[in-house]
Amino acid sequence: MSDHNEPILEARNLTKHFNVGGFLSGKVVRAVQDANIKLYRGRVTALVGESGSGKSTIIRMLARLYDPTSGEILFKGKNVLQDNGRKAMLDYRSRVQMIFQDPFSSLNPVHRVRYHLERPLYIHGKAKTKAIANEQVDALLRRVSLTPTEEFAPKFPHQLSGGQRQRVAIARALAVEPEVMLADEPVSMLDVSIRMGVLNLMAVLRDEQDIAFLYVTHDIASARYFADETLVMYAGHIVEGAGSEELVKEPKHPYTQLLLSAVPDPARGLLTQDFQVKGEIPNLTELGQGCPFAARCPHVMEKCRQTMPRPTKLSETRWTKCYLYGG
Amino acid sequence: MSAISPSAAKTPESTSGQPLLSVRNLEVEYRTKRGRVKAVDHVSFDISTNEVLGLAGESGCGKSTIAHAVTRILKPPAYITGGQIMFKSTDILGMSDDELRAFRWEHLSIVFQSAMNALNPVLSVGAQIIDAIQAHMPVSKDEARARALELLDVVGIHSNRVDSYPHQLSGGMRQRAVIAIALALNPEMIIMDEPTTALDVVVQKQIIQEIRQLKDKFGFSILFITHDLSLLVEFSDRIGIMYAGELAEIGPSREIFDNPQHPYTVRLMNSFPTISGPRIELKGIPGSPPDLVTPPSGCRFHPRCDVAIAGRCQEEHPELQQTSPRHFAACHLIDERKGNS
Repeated sequence: MSDHNEPILEARNLTKHFNVGGFLSGKVVRAVQDANIKLYRGRVTALVGESGSGKSTIIRMLARLYDPTSGEILFKGKNVLQDNGRKAMLDYRSRVQMIFQDPFSSLNPVHRVRYHLERPLYIHGKAKTKAIANEQVDALLRRVSLTPTEEFAPKFPHQLSGGQRQRVAIARALAVEPEVMLADEPVSMLDVSIRMGVLNLMAVLRDEQDIAFLYVTHDIASARYFADETLVMYAGHIVEGAGSEELVKEPKHPYTQLLLSAVPDPARGLLTQDFQVKGEIPNLTELGQGCPFAARCPHVMEKCRQTMPRPTKLSETRWTKCYLYGG
Repeated sequence: MSAISPSAAKTPESTSGQPLLSVRNLEVEYRTKRGRVKAVDHVSFDISTNEVLGLAGESGCGKSTIAHAVTRILKPPAYITGGQIMFKSTDILGMSDDELRAFRWEHLSIVFQSAMNALNPVLSVGAQIIDAIQAHMPVSKDEARARALELLDVVGIHSNRVDSYPHQLSGGMRQRAVIAIALALNPEMIIMDEPTTALDVVVQKQIIQEIRQLKDKFGFSILFITHDLSLLVEFSDRIGIMYAGELAEIGPSREIFDNPQHPYTVRLMNSFPTISGPRIELKGIPGSPPDLVTPPSGCRFHPRCDVAIAGRCQEEHPELQQTSPRHFAACHLIDERKGNS
């Protein structure tokens, strides 16, 4: 495999604005502002944020389901946004695959498991004959631990549990032998007892297939468990990035600190600490140029309301956008 | 309370004194095309005044069905087929529709997961609180409005929001408005069915803290239902763990967390990552919760249990037994440990 130190997929200053309320209203939702993300082979990067923070918009831009307002997406150093042709798209999607949150709606209810896995094999030219397709379907099911495979291949989605469906979705993504997997809340709709099985499966794919993962989640504890690096997103901005463990042990950005203090964690003791936080997530149409967290931040300074701080590098592995640390 | 069956006699009492709510051998059945599903099977528990009892479990374990049964809002194809639900000395299952109407909200109210569905989209939140008050109390509109403003203030919504419509409020605000309605008539108990599941953790923490303050101020009890066991350990006094329609374990929150007795509870605790614990490999639980049309024989957890006793767990159904003064679990391993099997 090629270099692990060069990002395989990179977002540079990726920005997405949605016009809302008709084009004359002039209202703009700044869903994502200047996002920079680097994904590496054999590594999981988590993107953590609350609903409306823009994390799903980022993953959809990286999957090329949304066109960015500005910024670049580089795959192996080459800007992929310049070519929207069918051939280029097909090629990109054979390398970058997406797994969706809801395994109940991402599989077609009228088709069997086998059909879901054969289709990408044929479309992307991975299988030319029925016999080869059968063999590959079998191998894919084994890789996601849906065995005995001859039992699962002829099943319809409604005959599977949520966890099994998500495994089919992962197998379908694997069918094209991707180098990058974009997983949008892949376990949040599954029962607690089967979430870890699916995350562990993805960890095996990371290690054995050297796949680069972007793991989008609202659950920072699962990011700590599964991801090598974690990025924290708030109101359209990625505000902090660090190794997953150092991030939860020593959060730097005031928003990350707030988020971590809100996570229920019995091991930390009972509900003793007084949790004081004002306000709610800002309306993304009314954001000014300053830091989006300024209105709720206990350390807010005047300049925070004026301009968004630039990223400050804190160590080889971590950075944050906050005037407390530079900017 | 009359006619308590022998098995109920050793079911978990909450604390000393008469419980506020007492559920005995509750059975609820869904009559589906595929067959009869025993969604709740012989479940018994008590809740005392000002206590928070949490019920946790995976989807389909019957926890929400219990909430719906206690408030008598179950609709066909769900039927209560057995058991007793006493609220102080009143039998909830024996109430007429009129009695129920008076009983709900005044004594017992309920908060659902989806505040958007619980609120009427075409009425302002103020109007909905006023409605709830006027339906139960002979007060003028002005008095009811004053009470509505007071309630909104109590749940942390500024009075200038009283004329807002649900869609103009954030998810957290809507859930606060629903809690305000639940508080409107000063009930003795509030049933909360996944009240914060649709919310982000920061908002969840704010609301949980507010609920706790309100509980201390007004002295109501809470039956709190969620799949989020870590939240329950932080928030409730006691926790019941449900599996496949049955109560697998019930006891004080801290004991459940520090010293779980049922293998399902242990595995469930090891199924979610934490932010402060050791970073170990988490296995989850193999398999999936059973289909209750054909529940497993013996202990319903035995097909997924890695410590099941060969020959016993798939044959013999375990009953709840006491493991410490207020802690009960339904597992054959408990008597194996005691050495008297």
